[in-house]
Amino acid sequence: MNSIIVVNILRFVGLLLLQGLVFKNIGVGWESFPYLHIIVFPLFIVLLPLRAPKTLVIFLAFVIGISVDFLYDTLGVHASAAVFTGFIRSLVLKMLEPRGAYNMSYSPTIARMGLGWFVQYTSILMFAHIFFYYSVEAFTFVYIVDILIKTIVSFLASMVFIMIFQLLFNPLD
Amino acid sequence: MFNLVQLLIKLSGFLVFIVLEAICFSLVVRYNGNQEKVYINTVNQFTGWMQNKSAATYQYFQLYDENKRLAKENARLLDRLANVGINVQNPLDTVWADTLQPKFSFLEAQVIRNSINQHHNYITLNKGSDDGVTPHSGVVSDDGVVGIVRKVSKKYSVAMSVLHRQTIVNARVRHKNYFGPMMWKSENIHIFNLDNIPKDAPVTKGDTIETSGYSTMFPPGVTLGVIDKLWMDPGSNFFTIEVRSFAKLSNLQHAYIVRNIFKNEEEQLEKSVITEDE
Repeated sequence: MNSIIVVNILRFVGLLLLQGLVFKNIGVGWESFPYLHIIVFPLFIVLLPLRAPKTLVIFLAFVIGISVDFLYDTLGVHASAAVFTGFIRSLVLKMLEPRGAYNMSYSPTIARMGLGWFVQYTSILMFAHIFFYYSVEAFTFVYIVDILIKTIVSFLASMVFIMIFQLLFNPLD
Repeated sequence: MFNLVQLLIKLSGFLVFIVLEAICFSLVVRYNGNQEKVYINTVNQFTGWMQNKSAATYQYFQLYDENKRLAKENARLLDRLANVGINVQNPLDTVWADTLQPKFSFLEAQVIRNSINQHHNYITLNKGSDDGVTPHSGVVSDDGVVGIVRKVSKKYSVAMSVLHRQTIVNARVRHKNYFGPMMWKSENIHIFNLDNIPKDAPVTKGDTIETSGYSTMFPPGVTLGVIDKLWMDPGSNFFTIEVRSFAKLSNLQHAYIVRNIFKNEEEQLEKSVITEDE
């Protein structure tokens, strides 16, 4: 019980620093290719334990989103996308529910749920998150083609990094 | 009650989502320049559209009054047309080229926003730079002077109403030619003040006040009102005059924007003299 909380706190801090101090500069420094933006912090929302209540998930999503915003100096933009991701997480979980329901003491990780399930689950959430993020960044659907191109490119890049972390650490919780 | 609580618990995820999302968007709009611009632009377009629609609906209900007023104005104009050339004072062999050339042209415009209950009132008209409106043009209705155009966009222009503390109209007493600035100082929307009429001028209560034509904004002779009260303050060389105006600003729907064709020429000439003296 306690170890789950510790793990999630460590993951929160780790992903926040990684996003704000490392990946932020990669996005900015790559002037010749402005479509790429690596976003890994929603992994924290993705990996919260299955038994975490819906409202808590949304609230924690808001907290990590607004923290990233402070590091990016874009108050509200990442937070709104994170809140959205936190909200649709329960819907996606319901959609992908395996036969015979979830074991509620697990977390949705590769070690517990299998690689195929995890890729499916994470892709849906990450794609939704990144699409929402670029929509809020543009704040209008006039540039929908631009938004979609950015979303697809950034989604693929972010997924590569997320899978590398998962296979590298392969956490149980 | 219990059912309601149960429903709230069931919807709690959604409610938290909505509340947090609302907070996020208000932060986005407040602290991010780009998104703020998009937001303000969208809201402006929407309210502009709404105002246009409501003005159009309102005008439909006023058509009867409007028809009567237009008919009256037509009659007055026909009257003037019929009388042109009767009071010719010049000898028959003299032709004044100046009188053959029109100096002012009028552009009909609809009022889409108007206020009368502030200290600074403005009128929005549906003609803009696309129609050739320039700032500092006069606005008149068939009752008299309405305001002065202040700013112009492509499709709209905003005029300071005569009910604006800083609007000054150059006025004169009809047939007596004493002139002075007329402005709105009182709280009553029908009462204006006329200054700079010397105390030896033979003006009396009931005299008509009209535009002097000394400014480039208005043609001479547009009626402004009648003298309602006049008295002399002790120690002053001038009358204090209160003018009751004719303009019905509270239900204004149509106005004419005055275009002075020789405005630039006149202003440049005056300016060159003033700069020479300085």
